[in-house]
Amino acid sequence: MIDTGEVSAFRDLHTRLGDAVEAAVRGKRDVVDLVLVAMFAGGHVLLEDVPGTGKTTLARAVAGALGGISRRVQFTPDLLPSDVTGTSVYDPQTGQIRFRPGPVFANIVLADEINRAAAKTQSALLEVMEERTVTIDGVGHAVPDPFLVVATQNPIDLDGTYRLPEAQLDRFMIRTSIGYPSAEDELDVLRPGSGAGKIADVRTVTSPREVSSFGERLAQLHVADPILHYISALGTGTRTDDRLRLGTSTRGLRTLVRCAQVYAASKGRHFVVPQDVQDIADPVLAHRLVLTRESVLAGVTTSEVLADVLSRVPVPKPAAPSSTAP
Amino acid sequence: MLKYAWVCALLLVASLQLAQAWDGATVYFGLAALTGFLALSLTRLVPAGLAGLAVMVLAMTGGFFAAKGASPERDPAWVLLDTVPRLLTAARPAPATPELLVSGLLLIIGVSTATVLSVTKRGTALFVPALGVAVLYVSAALLTTGRADRYGLVALALVVLLSLGWVIIDRRGPVVPPAVLATALAALTLLTFVLPTNGFEPRKLVKPPVTNIAITNPLPQLASWAAQGDAELFRMRGPEVPVRLVTLSRYTGASWEAAATYGPLGVVDPPDLPIGGKFRDASADLRITGLQGEWLPGVGKPQAVSLSNAMVDPDSGSLVLAEGLRTGLSYTVRGVVETPADADLAEAQVPANATRYTALPRLPFTLAEYARQATVNTRTAYEKAVALEQVVRLNRRPDAEAPVGSSYARLETFLFGAEGESGAGAGTAEQFASAFAVLARAVGLPTRVVVGFQPVPEQDGERIVRAADATAWPEVYFSGWGWVPFDPVSGNDSGPSAASKREVLNRLASTTAKPTPTTLASVPPLVQPSAVRPDAAAPAEPGSFPLWVFSPVLVLLVLYVARTSRRLRLRAAGPVGAWNEVLDSLQLAGLRPRPSRTVPDVGRDWGDAGQRLAVLVDEAAFGPRPVRRDDSWQLARQVGKAVRHKASWWRRLVWAVDPRPLFRR
Repeated sequence: MIDTGEVSAFRDLHTRLGDAVEAAVRGKRDVVDLVLVAMFAGGHVLLEDVPGTGKTTLARAVAGALGGISRRVQFTPDLLPSDVTGTSVYDPQTGQIRFRPGPVFANIVLADEINRAAAKTQSALLEVMEERTVTIDGVGHAVPDPFLVVATQNPIDLDGTYRLPEAQLDRFMIRTSIGYPSAEDELDVLRPGSGAGKIADVRTVTSPREVSSFGERLAQLHVADPILHYISALGTGTRTDDRLRLGTSTRGLRTLVRCAQVYAASKGRHFVVPQDVQDIADPVLAHRLVLTRESVLAGVTTSEVLADVLSRVPVPKPAAPSSTAP
Repeated sequence: MLKYAWVCALLLVASLQLAQAWDGATVYFGLAALTGFLALSLTRLVPAGLAGLAVMVLAMTGGFFAAKGASPERDPAWVLLDTVPRLLTAARPAPATPELLVSGLLLIIGVSTATVLSVTKRGTALFVPALGVAVLYVSAALLTTGRADRYGLVALALVVLLSLGWVIIDRRGPVVPPAVLATALAALTLLTFVLPTNGFEPRKLVKPPVTNIAITNPLPQLASWAAQGDAELFRMRGPEVPVRLVTLSRYTGASWEAAATYGPLGVVDPPDLPIGGKFRDASADLRITGLQGEWLPGVGKPQAVSLSNAMVDPDSGSLVLAEGLRTGLSYTVRGVVETPADADLAEAQVPANATRYTALPRLPFTLAEYARQATVNTRTAYEKAVALEQVVRLNRRPDAEAPVGSSYARLETFLFGAEGESGAGAGTAEQFASAFAVLARAVGLPTRVVVGFQPVPEQDGERIVRAADATAWPEVYFSGWGWVPFDPVSGNDSGPSAASKREVLNRLASTTAKPTPTTLASVPPLVQPSAVRPDAAAPAEPGSFPLWVFSPVLVLLVLYVARTSRRLRLRAAGPVGAWNEVLDSLQLAGLRPRPSRTVPDVGRDWGDAGQRLAVLVDEAAFGPRPVRRDDSWQLARQVGKAVRHKASWWRRLVWAVDPRPLFRR
């Protein structure tokens, strides 16, 4: 069981990270928070947005604040799996075959325009994301901890791209978009001399070790039974909705619980409340839902369906104080 | 503590002012003014609303038993409801009997409770005392028609005390908006204009309660009184005026009947025909020494009687004592005696709408024709009356032994009977008065018959009235001058009006033939009038008080108690209970949130208090450990207030008793 002291320490860390990242990425605190949630929950983020909204800046700023290694892979159709994972090469000096790690051996990996690479390369990355090891020539090479992949995908200009299959999307813990900043923030960004976008200005406020230690502890955060019932009811809600061909999987719901724990802690709470679930349901679940053809043609989006489900399922009523925790 | 002394002084002054409407009620009212402090001490145990309710229920119960004790044979609930009309129809100042005190005491207890409880709250600490004192003051002014505070000294004292409160009471924090104060003051000011206390008579607004009394017609008793001769009936101190026993206004063709419904004396309900323009007050002390029955002798049209249980028929002025007269009963009667001058009557009209006093069901033709002939040359109503008085008297003799009765048949015998026939040309005052009344009614004069006693000479300051003095006389109503007595027994040879009557008769004698009995023997004898149905249905006896009148109050009370106990339960349940209280408020305001909305989401709508409460609620509901001390109830009350503020006025009206939260799941 995690106590309030630890939670407030985590909240401090989370706030520090957020503040540091915000020095470079202005006015997108909510997206920053989501990325951080994914990082602490041990998941990965898919940013779907048009070019020029700060996807790359965000990923690099997070890496900068973390103080770990960050690498960037620009996905192109001719990118090979080994370009991502690394490969064994012959070292003429030692006369031995040596593993040369690819760009995934970093705390933060920015996979830019992941949909431009061939399916084979995509799946190589997805495999690392899931397994956290790279197996080359029968030898497993563990990626560093924490390990956060921030993949970006451009929703327009889809010619010559390989859309991520739905099953693969499930591997991303969170899918979100950055969107354009507010007029005020945009002015701030535009003003010459502002620090916006300057990765060099991002202070390093923590260490990878500190982050990974918190990640394990946060899994202990208290989730009351009514909350689990509520999450389960949300899952059922998506599975029974007529507009969806595929509802959310049990893995999706598990992920939701995990994210809710981190999210609650980031708000300084040592327990999860229904509002946490509602707040992160869309980034966690929306990309796991598959619409029917009719709905696609009707222009419905999964986010809309999910919002309907959220407004349909009653939240757990505050009941008598829960009995003493086990 | 100073503020309690202040409110105590205010309440005492206002209550003692109200106490003047009663005779000797000062102590009770002073004590009642302090009951608010009982409620105050109760607030240590229960919420203020419940404490006030408890005191009021206690007071109502006390009133209930007082009413039950006052009239054991009647429904106490009815007696209790009846107290206000009784108070307004009682003598002034009202005697301090339990049933008359109850309404005043309940008013004071209510005002005292509300006032003292309000002083503990900042917002209402000045407003409610001012309002309560104003209510008491206005009540006192109305009940005494301004006599309690003739020079406005009490009002001045109250204003000074109230302005002291401005200094004493802590006015920080939420206070009643100035708009409310201004409106209340404006309303009170307006009230003083609309209800000028010196002239306004609230008693006019109350329909006095009436009682049905079936009393036998006392006319036939004249014969038995005549037979008793010197038997003493009562003694009297006062002016030499005829004493009236009962006035008979309805003639059925078979007999005269008295009114059957009576109300308490002190009623300002005017008679159906107004009192004449010239009158004087007459007051007499009477002591019953032998008279029996329920009729209470009086003088003139009674205005006041010293017996609190005497009742009166406002139209006729007949006094009744329901429990009957007893020897030794002493009382004072003050009445109005009409004193029109003869010259006034000469040209006086009679009212056209007084059909009640001209009704003659199935009048035989003989009588109608006799009356027509007797008044054939008369010009005015007064001349008609004088002529008839003379006609009835002429050739007829008073005979105490004559057969009794006042039916058409008896009157025909009395007027037209052949020589030797029993009762022909002879009768007691009953036949003389009845014959005059029937003939006068036949020519359209509003007439009634009075049973009473002749004026008797004074002996040693007392007038001893004996059975032989009993008599009956008719009265005719003249517009503007009232009821004027005529005396067909002794005629107009004597008496104050003798000269003017003789003048009238002399003038008529030259032109009028003496009326003779009609010879139309074939006229069908319409002489057996059946009993005439009462012309108006008597008001239903309110003996069985309908309990359903109280049932809405009871339902409201039950709902209030249920809601209050729910609140107490929620209050004890920590933040979750507090949140349920907020949800109750939202439901009452019609703002019930969708079930899919989370607590912080709802709380955000209601400001800082709502957000803070939401945090506490979430922790209590979903946290691993129970929340210990918290201020959730205060927050919930803040939110509740804000919610209530947003609700429409009609929702606010039923806020405390709306049962819907009881069924919320």
